Amino acid sequence: MEPNTTPQPSTGRTVLCIEDEHFIAELYDRALTKAGYIVTVIGDGQEALKAAEANDYDVILLDLMVPNLTGIEILRSLRNPSRVPPLRAKIIIATNLEQRDDVRADIEKQADGYLVKAELTPHELVNFVDTVQ
Amino acid sequence: MNHIQQLRRTIRLGLVGVLLANNLLLLGCIVLLQRVTSLSLLVSAIIAFIIGLSLSVLLSQVFATFVTQPVQALWQAILHLSPTEHGVAAPEIDKLRLGRELVTNLSAQVYQLAEVASSTAKQQSTVDQSLTKNFIAQSLPLPLITMDATDTILFANEAAAQYIGIDAVNMIGKNIYMVLDMSFPSEDTFDAWLKKAKESSATASNLWERVRLNVREEHPERLFDLATYYNRDNPQKIETMLVLFDHTKAYSQDVQAISFIALSVHELRTPLTLLRGYIEVFEEEINTSGNPELQDFMMKMRSQAEQLTAFVNNILNVARIDDDQLQLQLHEEQWPAVLKTAVGNLSLRAKVRGITLHCRIATNLPTVGVDHISIQEVINNIVDNAIKYSGESKTIEIATYLNADGLVETTVQDFGLGISPTTIPNLFSKFYRDFRNRAQVGGTGLGLYLSKAIVTAHGGSVWVSSKENEGSTFGFTLVPYAKMAEEMKKSGGDEMTRGAHGWIKNHSLYRR
Repeated sequence: MEPNTTPQPSTGRTVLCIEDEHFIAELYDRALTKAGYIVTVIGDGQEALKAAEANDYDVILLDLMVPNLTGIEILRSLRNPSRVPPLRAKIIIATNLEQRDDVRADIEKQADGYLVKAELTPHELVNFVDTVQ
Repeated sequence: MNHIQQLRRTIRLGLVGVLLANNLLLLGCIVLLQRVTSLSLLVSAIIAFIIGLSLSVLLSQVFATFVTQPVQALWQAILHLSPTEHGVAAPEIDKLRLGRELVTNLSAQVYQLAEVASSTAKQQSTVDQSLTKNFIAQSLPLPLITMDATDTILFANEAAAQYIGIDAVNMIGKNIYMVLDMSFPSEDTFDAWLKKAKESSATASNLWERVRLNVREEHPERLFDLATYYNRDNPQKIETMLVLFDHTKAYSQDVQAISFIALSVHELRTPLTLLRGYIEVFEEEINTSGNPELQDFMMKMRSQAEQLTAFVNNILNVARIDDDQLQLQLHEEQWPAVLKTAVGNLSLRAKVRGITLHCRIATNLPTVGVDHISIQEVINNIVDNAIKYSGESKTIEIATYLNADGLVETTVQDFGLGISPTTIPNLFSKFYRDFRNRAQVGGTGLGLYLSKAIVTAHGGSVWVSSKENEGSTFGFTLVPYAKMAEEMKKSGGDEMTRGAHGWIKNHSLYRR
């Protein structure tokens, strides 16, 4: 795992990591920070939504099972067509939850990426985030 | 109308028939009575008259029922639709013997009319208030609430009372927010909208999707779309109207329909995510410190974690297949690329056991229509099997080529334990494992069952040939994309179009 494989443009990009599982958040924070991202971790749905609205993040990593507001609710709110101006951030769903295919397709339509956390190591997650520009 | 003429003719014919039969009977009776009993003409005529009278009463009864059947069927159709009459079944028009076409026609119109009425009711904003209140509001199957300028409820119909779980009487006169505790998916809420509407416009309307009703205990959860209409200058003081469109079933699916398996999988995946994350961190450190033994251990650990992840996916997919929920998104793919990626992912597992995977790929391959993720699981399972059953042998040969039937065929050959001929027929059934090897080789017996189901769903087939102690070859075929597209076109299926909007194709590997 050579640390320099991450392309340069990621440096300075901001990421909001909405993740309530502390250890996973810690691993993602570590890997993303190492790759040059500026990371904010929030584990509460409602707080995360507020933060996403108040700050101009480049990428939002969104877990679907977070307390106080589900990831689906956060996604719908952030991608609400009546939002002016539309949210600039790229939203990547990062979940371990298995959805029915049609539900998942519905979620995917509104997001910019969808990944299953167990399928990726933190390093591979960084690579994924790199490609969602 | 042609149908009515037809009906009239049938009734007329029937009546003539009844009269004729009756008269004939009368005559017959008189003649018979005279001959047999040698009664006088007058007596036999009287007896015949009594018989004839009772018969004609009976016949006309039967005939009347027969003739009124269509009217009854129509009446039943109307009752069936009427919101106040619960439990009246739709008429069984097929059973009608008379005027079936006419009734079908008229019933269709009744149903159509009802539909128009209810859709008009949905857009009831322009409908006259008295009409709304008396007819639509009370018989409208949709929950409807009206309120005045102070947000006090003026009226709630029966459907609203049932839906919210509060009697209409108890709602009237109360503040709307005391009765309806609603959650909205965004900050664009009902009260925000109403406040704005009151400030700035004479009339306004809005629609929200996925509104949640926060209900009291013991009342089921409600999810609905909310349509509202605001009119400041309404003469009846009805300023705001709310109509609720229930979608509880559809909307709660994404929240609640997380099956037991999906939840278990979630619980398994969380520690797996961590395990793989920490392994990666350790590997980074150990690779720089350079202890080869630890490096080797770490690699084995990673390989096991990967295997566990694959197994979790297998459980899920088997559940999907059993539940008839396996859905494929078929995209046009370059088969060699898909195969190489899958084999690449497996090389670690092979390496840990000292096995090398050789790949032979023909050059003339057409593109195939595959679901990227599912088909990778097929390769995963078949190659994984080959690794497990390789025994002392250290090579696995993977080949792909265009076969004689014009299908893309892929084979995985190992030179290990082989399979006994008696086992082969059961190989692709669920939980089946060769009993002789059960002790030596790990596994659940799900992989081949799954592979077969996935390949079959792709329109291909799976086969195996094996010799004990010499090894086994597993093969599967895939249909070229062009052929598949052509078949889809013919059958008018939408699978391809569904698969056509590709989802960050390069990364769909990570999807599941």
